[in-house]
Amino acid sequence: MQHTLSNKALLQATLIALVIAATVLVSFILPVEYNIDPTGLGTKLGLTALANTDSTINTNAGDEAKESGLTTPLNVAENTNIDATDIMHIIVPANRGIEYKFAMQKFKKMTYQWQTEGTALFFDLHGEPEGDTSGYYESYAITTADEMKGSFTTPFAGVHGWYWKNTSDQEVTIKLTVSGEYTVIGLKK
Amino acid sequence: MFFRYHRIAMIIIACCFLGLTAFESIAHGVDDNTRLFLQQNTGIQFFPFLYIGAKHMVTGYDHLLFLLGVIFFLYKSKDILVYVSLFTLGHSITLLLGVIANLQVNAYLIDAIIGLSVVYKGFDNLGGFQRLLGVNPNAKLAVLIFGLFHGLGLATKLQEFQLPEEGLWTNLIAFNIGVELGQFAALTLILLVISFWRKFASFQYFSTASNTLLMSAGMMLIGFQLTGYFVMN
Repeated sequence: MQHTLSNKALLQATLIALVIAATVLVSFILPVEYNIDPTGLGTKLGLTALANTDSTINTNAGDEAKESGLTTPLNVAENTNIDATDIMHIIVPANRGIEYKFAMQKFKKMTYQWQTEGTALFFDLHGEPEGDTSGYYESYAITTADEMKGSFTTPFAGVHGWYWKNTSDQEVTIKLTVSGEYTVIGLKK
Repeated sequence: MFFRYHRIAMIIIACCFLGLTAFESIAHGVDDNTRLFLQQNTGIQFFPFLYIGAKHMVTGYDHLLFLLGVIFFLYKSKDILVYVSLFTLGHSITLLLGVIANLQVNAYLIDAIIGLSVVYKGFDNLGGFQRLLGVNPNAKLAVLIFGLFHGLGLATKLQEFQLPEEGLWTNLIAFNIGVELGQFAALTLILLVISFWRKFASFQYFSTASNTLLMSAGMMLIGFQLTGYFVMN
């Protein structure tokens, strides 16, 4: 055991620990993890961009994300055009799984259709409630198929979309057509 | 002057390391692949759960920091064995009971308490309690109690997956054994480094700085998790 420090040294050590912790927290950790950036240093160093690509939706991520264009936060979804239609081509690399997501408000409908060039993929169409951190999600459809057509109405506001898993040795391109009230988030990192 | 210069350099390096790399690893829950595995597989999965448990411990910097603090001034293998066993006993109890009894604790709060355990141990290593209270609190009891909280943290993370009832006990025990294996692996590495370092005079010079940093890292964890609690809820 080391010698007990003097009162002065102990106080000094505690203060130094506090100052370091507060500095690192405020300048680096909070900007990256929660997009809270009181010093502005996080934005300067490009750290807040990390927060915006995070899969969890931050409650106050709005302005920053709009500027950087990295993600579309949920609060923009209110201005979404009704009955937008989008066609996208999504590549699933060989032996990999990807997630493609949309931000949607509560009780909004999405009509969708997707197909591959013939390779069947395992998929899980599901939604995660906004602001939820417990990892909870609700699945609307799970199976293995090379195409699917359907629609769903969101039971809660949040992030909804597909997980596709490609177990083949070749990359697979999915053609996805969606219409409804949503904002595209796109590929999850 | 020489030592002062080195001390500052070391603090800076440690800060960069903690601030920039450590928090990139899995702070909350489990990574994507693991998550998908847990979603897609049911029934008894002994070795996968063993692996997940071990990985969680090896990459769980909060658990490792606490262990580092605990063994920092333990020189005898017997002492190390006793303390680590107490920690293991503590977190095994709450890990098993927590999942079985479906105990729901907020992950941010429990992780903040784990951060507190790191601060506690750093302060204790500096002789802070001796100075403040005039007596050292029972170190063995403290390790056991904080072990209980660490286990509750593990239980909370496992429960995020709404594990199927089928094979739950076996999977849990596999996870727990994995945690011990991971802890053993990590501990061996930490011990190697620390025993090597002890041979040099710098260990004594830097023991105060090291434990100050340990406290600081614990404070960062508390701040990080408490902010999460208020922002995400």
